[in-house]
Amino acid sequence: MFDLETNVKSWCDYLRAQGTLEEAGVLELESHLRDQIDDLTASGLSVEEAFIVGVKRLGSVSLISKEYSKVNTDGLWKNLLLDPADPDAKNRNRRNIVLVILLSFLAGTAAKIPTAFGVEIGSIAYFKNLSFYILPFVTLFLTLKHGGTPKSRWTLAGVFAFSFAVVNLYPSYEPWHTETLTAIHLPILLWLITGVAYMGKDWKASKARMDFLRFTGESVIYGSLLMLGLMVLMMFTMMIFQSISIDMEPFVENYFLIFGGCAVAMLTVYLVEAKKSIVENFAPVLAKIFSPLFLITMLAFLVAMVVSGTSPFTEREFLIGFDLMLVLVLGMVLYTISAKNLHDKQDIFDYLNVALVGVAMIVDNVALSAIVFRLSEYGITPNKLAALGENVLLLLNLGVLFVYYIRYFTGKIEFQQIVTWQTKYLNVYALWMAIVVFVFPLVFSFN
Amino acid sequence: MDVSKDLIAASATPLILAILRQQDSYGYEIIKHIKEVSNDELIWTEGMLYPVLHRLEKNGLVESYWKKSQAGRRRKYYRLQEAGQLELERHMEQWELLFSILSTTIKGDGERRAIFDV
Repeated sequence: MFDLETNVKSWCDYLRAQGTLEEAGVLELESHLRDQIDDLTASGLSVEEAFIVGVKRLGSVSLISKEYSKVNTDGLWKNLLLDPADPDAKNRNRRNIVLVILLSFLAGTAAKIPTAFGVEIGSIAYFKNLSFYILPFVTLFLTLKHGGTPKSRWTLAGVFAFSFAVVNLYPSYEPWHTETLTAIHLPILLWLITGVAYMGKDWKASKARMDFLRFTGESVIYGSLLMLGLMVLMMFTMMIFQSISIDMEPFVENYFLIFGGCAVAMLTVYLVEAKKSIVENFAPVLAKIFSPLFLITMLAFLVAMVVSGTSPFTEREFLIGFDLMLVLVLGMVLYTISAKNLHDKQDIFDYLNVALVGVAMIVDNVALSAIVFRLSEYGITPNKLAALGENVLLLLNLGVLFVYYIRYFTGKIEFQQIVTWQTKYLNVYALWMAIVVFVFPLVFSFN
Repeated sequence: MDVSKDLIAASATPLILAILRQQDSYGYEIIKHIKEVSNDELIWTEGMLYPVLHRLEKNGLVESYWKKSQAGRRRKYYRLQEAGQLELERHMEQWELLFSILSTTIKGDGERRAIFDV
């Protein structure tokens, strides 16, 4: 069957990848193509015919777009990276790659700087600053590619500088609870800030935010794959040199891992960014495969808990584990949502989604009661309060999603409203992360 | 009727400016408009229109803004600017001049007209 949405998007990606048109120009042509398709289908053409005719007509806009109709969509991925059609795009590709290499090198150097000040790799102080080694360069790359205004660039730079100053000026005392919390929460906060660079001037629009969520998911997957490759390379490096009695471990630890890790991050962003909305989006597929499996696992857990009568969460590590799982579940629900075509009918995955949300809510309630119990039993600590806040936010998120889904099934609201609400809710997460990073140390007197 | 390529290129700017003087519009609508008022005689291609629109915008004769249609489609609208208004008037004068030269030459010279009639 012919899927118009996918084809229009891949056509747009094709234009983008060739690099002679700016984003606004691509969007302008996209709306032109859609207008054309609407008119052609109204006059009796099938959607597929209308698409083909529309693309052909737009072929005159530039040779690039004409080339598109010749190129098979199957090879698009290859086309993006390896052999773009014209020399212009080839140059641009080369420029981008040079930029990625340069920024990776800068990021790696930034990651080495703390060691010059006596901060050991692996210490909390080092990890606390982890996001500053990489994300400013990712942000720079994204604003360069998306052509942000000078004002937006300065604002982003200001936010990074401010966070960096505050986080490092705050003192830290034993048992370093708030500092550890900062190390965990700051990357999430700054990733959301990086998202603003990704989304550009539309950062408040739900469509852009959904794109950013998709971008995040894809980055996690591609990043993991690249990281895996790096690990394999590292292992073989150590092994073959060991065979000639040269110990590569210091080199690997001090340079290979740091520069390699930074390069993986930059490369991930570059790759995912280059293919933006392309057909081969992988995260939603993974989400669809694993959401039923997670549903079964959680159900089995609940049943086993009731049957055996064991109360969970006696250890804090488990609590954090549960939180992470809920985040993952929420992520899968989001990716299924993001992959959904707004005008599609409800399908099996919507029902699965709603079941997943429902069960996750029950699990979250169990987690929440355990935290409240711990709070009342042992008093407030920064860790528990942070975990509590996150659980409340997750529960609220899941709860509203649940209600919206039900209303969507009964036809009371459009699917778009779910998306709009969910993307707005990102603000709440950003706010909470900021509170944990900037306010918690003050409240708990830097303990 | 096939209008020659040169003439289409030369007339694109004044026609676009004239359309935008009536009301703000976007690429697809402009092409449709030209097609309609010319009774399908004049068909503009996208490849001609968009570069001209972008050049006009770059030169400050028109400005653009994004607007959503009722169906939620974002379109890039173009609006005539002061400079564009002046440019349009300049074009009109030139066209009128050319047209009057052409017509008086045709009318005023009987022998030449015979050649034209052939």
